Order: sequence, then structure tokens, then C-alpha cells
Amino acid sequence: MPVIAGGAAVAAAGIAIGLKALDEREIPKTAILAATFFVVSLFAVPIGPSSVHLLLGGLVGLFLGVGAFPAIFVGLLLQAVMFGFGGLTSLGVDTVNMALPGVALAALARPLMARTAPATRGLIGATVAALAVLGTAGGVTLALALSSADYVPALKIVALTYVPLAAVEAVITGFAIAFLARVKPEILPWPKEARP
Amino acid sequence: MNHVRALLGLFAAFALAFVLAMALALTGATSAQAHRLKLFVSVDGMTVSGYAFFIGGGRPQDVDFVVKDAAGAPVHRGRTDEKGAFAWTAAAPADYTLSLDTGDGHFADEKIPADRFSLTAPAIAAAVQAPAETPPAADSPASTAAPSPATIDPETLTRLVEAAAERAVARQLRPLIEAQNLAEARLRFNDIMGGVGMIVGLAGLAAWAMSRRRRSGGGP
Repeated sequence: MPVIAGGAAVAAAGIAIGLKALDEREIPKTAILAATFFVVSLFAVPIGPSSVHLLLGGLVGLFLGVGAFPAIFVGLLLQAVMFGFGGLTSLGVDTVNMALPGVALAALARPLMARTAPATRGLIGATVAALAVLGTAGGVTLALALSSADYVPALKIVALTYVPLAAVEAVITGFAIAFLARVKPEILPWPKEARP
Repeated sequence: MNHVRALLGLFAAFALAFVLAMALALTGATSAQAHRLKLFVSVDGMTVSGYAFFIGGGRPQDVDFVVKDAAGAPVHRGRTDEKGAFAWTAAAPADYTLSLDTGDGHFADEKIPADRFSLTAPAIAAAVQAPAETPPAADSPASTAAPSPATIDPETLTRLVEAAAERAVARQLRPLIEAQNLAEARLRFNDIMGGVGMIVGLAGLAAWAMSRRRRSGGGP
């Protein structure tokens, strides 16, 4: 399937760039976020006609940048191997869907966040998280629609379940970023010269 | 030194998240587990019924299910009700596959082999019970009892008993199989910790590889 192959190619590129950019001082942080993603996204809550779990794409993207690709890939790989979630064939597509929106949005938001007060940073972080979830929803929908036209009517279900998820992730990420921006701003990888 | 303290702070923050997740895993095991679609299918006579469920709770409502025969041709299409349940009566015993797709990337299927259908049990029963119920003498227990063995040929009797026994066993086993399905689907604390340990090990491996590269690169 071209979708699976394309997803795998993009994921491989993202992982390669992420690993290359990985500073040794970033390793523990990357591992902690990979572990957090692995654990948190195992737990699902029933919402409406389906069931969802946290994705944390925005949070991981804000903390790690391109490093989100290897982190999320490791989390997904372990989920697939140990619990049979997701499956190995769709691993590439899933990695791209979860990592790419967060990485791209975080790259856009970082220069903005570097110039603002901690509370505003939290707000921007929340926006990034919400948009990253919607980006993941869009990616999932696109991948399904490209795979088979039968999936198109199910857009309704996707919209129904991802919108509340976006709100929840916005709150979690917003508080996490606002808290860390105030207490440990050096954790967040802003451009150094722009830090107030 | 600064980044070490920063990492410790970050670690503390996420340790808290971990503790919360674990508390969720251990206490709220019924309300929040994992995200995967599974099917529970039972066969009674010629009727296939059951429901789809997400591990961790929630059932997909109003989604398509398809029954396909051994050759992969669709035999029946339907939708689940508000409890995620489905039912379908087969015309003849054969190998079928029931698959369900929620449309948002979750799907599950289950094979229903021909031997799970009990041939024509209701048909035999109807054929044999019909003459037995015709005598209207209700006060005499002997006449309302099963037809005397003399009126049924031994082969029919055997099949009838077999079908009845099969159905009784199936009825008794159903809750057990259901519980087993759920138990199998449960996330186990040890597995989760194993995954976390694997990630820690990967981080250690990466740190080791990088320290070696730096040392062989001519550093002190």
C-alpha cells in the first residue's frame, strides 16, 4: 500500500533527523518523554461512540523538537510489540500522524514563546497541543481516505472523539508548559538569545 | 550543573505523571485501560450474536460489520446497535469471518468455523415436539413429557440430545469465555513497567554509544 510505504519513508526520515540532532544531554529528556508517551497513550477512555487516549504530540514536540520522532516511534513500537496496539505495518503512518503535527507546530510556536511571559507561553502551548491533536486527526483521516474511500463517512466519528481530546490535551500541555516556563525555563528549548 | 538540575526537575514532574497513570492503571482498571477493538462472538444454533468492545471500556455504536464466507465474499452487512451488539442468522453452517470496522482506524475480525453452528437443532426440535404437543391432556404428566422413544428413530434422538447438550454447554460457557476475553485484554502492570524499562535501557545504550564516539574522537 502506498500510504503505508509513504508513511514509513517520512517516519524514517524524521527519525534519522531526530537522532542526528540528538545531543547527549538530551537523551534522558527524550527517554522520559518517550516513556511518558508510551504509558499515557496506553490508557483509553470511552467517549461517545468510540474511545480515545491521550496523544501528547504537542507536548512532546514542544519539549523535543525533531527528537519527537524517535521518542514517539519507540513508544509506538513497544506498544505494538508488547500489546498488539496499532500493529507493525502501520507503525510508520502512526508515527508521522502523531509526531509531525507536534513537531511542525512547536517549531512555529517556539520563536513566539521565547518572547512572551510564562502565562502566555502556557496559552501558546495549549494552542499547540490542541492543534496537534486536530493535526493528528486530520492525518489519520487523510491516511484512511487515501487507503479506501469506504472510510470517508466515518469522519463524523473522528471529529466527535478528537475534539474533546484536543480540549483535554490543551489543558494538560498548557499547565505543564506554564509551570515549567516559570520554574525551569531552561528545560524548554527556546532560542537562547531571545529569552527574556 | 544547571542542566542536571533541570533534568531532575523535569524528572520529578514526570514521575508525578507516572504515579498518576499507575494509580489509574491499578484502581480504575475497569474504566480506563487500553485502546484496542475486540470482538466477543457466540453462536447459538444458527444465530451468531455478540458485541464489539474497546479494551478499557466503550463499545462502538452504529458502525458497520460484515460477514464474509470462506472465499471472502460478503454474505451479510449490518450495523451495531447502541450497545455495540450485532446478530445475524446464517443460512447454512460454513466457515465465516465476521469483521467490524469503526472507520477511524480501529478494526477487528473473528473467524467463525462451521463446527460452531449446531446443524439443524431447532429444526429437529420443532419437528419432534410438534406431534408431542398436540395431545391436549394437560393434567396427565406422562402425556406432556417428551415423546416416547418409540416414536423417534434413534438417530434423530441422538442428534437431538447432542444439540441440546451443546446448547446447554455453550450457555454455561458463555460468561466464562466473556470473562476470559476481558481478562486477556487487560493491561498488566508488569508489562507496562517492562516497556518503561526498555526505554530506560535504550537511553542508556544511546548515552554509552555517544560517550564511546566522543572518546574515540580524540577527547581527553
